[in-house]
Amino acid sequence: MKSGIQLILVLAGILTSSFVSAHHSFAAQYDINQPVTLVGKVTKVEWTNPHARIYIDVADASGNVSNWNIELGSPNFLRRAGWSRNDLKITDEVTINGSLARSGADMANAASIILKDGKQVFGRNAADDF
Amino acid sequence: MAQEPAPRLPDGTPDFSGLWSGGGPVGDIAGGLIPGEVMLLTPEYAEIKAGRMAAEDPEANCLPTGVPRIAPYPWRIVQTPTFGEATHMYFLFEGNVHSYRQIFMDGREHPPAEELDPTWYGHSIGWWEDDTLVIDSIGFNDLTWFDFLGNPHSTELHTIERYTRTDYGTLENVTTVIDPAAYVQPFTIRFEARLQPADWDLMEYVCNENNQDVEHIQGPARLF
Repeated sequence: MKSGIQLILVLAGILTSSFVSAHHSFAAQYDINQPVTLVGKVTKVEWTNPHARIYIDVADASGNVSNWNIELGSPNFLRRAGWSRNDLKITDEVTINGSLARSGADMANAASIILKDGKQVFGRNAADDF
Repeated sequence: MAQEPAPRLPDGTPDFSGLWSGGGPVGDIAGGLIPGEVMLLTPEYAEIKAGRMAAEDPEANCLPTGVPRIAPYPWRIVQTPTFGEATHMYFLFEGNVHSYRQIFMDGREHPPAEELDPTWYGHSIGWWEDDTLVIDSIGFNDLTWFDFLGNPHSTELHTIERYTRTDYGTLENVTTVIDPAAYVQPFTIRFEARLQPADWDLMEYVCNENNQDVEHIQGPARLF
């Protein structure tokens, strides 16, 4: 499924952020050795617990589109860091760096989210959690 | 500010009130072992730990952390009355679920063990020893894990926590874990909670409103 999708697997270790996942072991759900870069448009924002989530449509080289589920920190963590649920809107085009889910689903944990104009939202490490 | 002396209530009792973060194990309880202490599981509980899968972690399933585990969310200490000798102290947790610990400071004893229904946070009585709050707890269920690694305990768990506000911004927690069914000998751990910004409050956190994690968590209990 992932092989044809427009994603760039970069070398392990580039993402050196310290992931602190809220209520589960980060390593049990995501693979730090499977970093991923996803480019797509936001289709949904879930400002929910235990994690805020955004969903983005990602097209592969053939134009086939998959909807990816991206995990962020909890809304409380993001709020305390100064972000709000309105900082990312549906149809925003984003580039997301993160780690792939071990389950093989179209799911990743975001380390950074960058808007088309270069502005970064939800901080340097959106996955840091409280 | 953080290094200034701990504040006191009008009657001289140390004032622990405030919003704290940390103060207990999250990923690996052994990380808090004080020098010379060892955690040695009994064969039965070593087998229980070895069989635990990460997706079974109560915390991943939006259940309480128990004692001494702490969730990585702020928590608040409140005592009543607020001006002097306490009859009750409460630890109010934002996560892992909205919950609280109730510590009886009025001099009562634990009920006989056979009269206690096992609970997630147990039955806690507390008292002051100089500037240290001592909390003695029994009556736990055996459903909580000590950390992401799945370190277990039994219903025989008995914890003795010793909290000292070593300076304005730091609350030290030295806890002795006694559980003869699960551990060959008691062991003592030390963690520090940090005072959070004065303009922070507890916020709503309903863990199970959209918990998609468990179905994607793979493999045995693990930290890394």
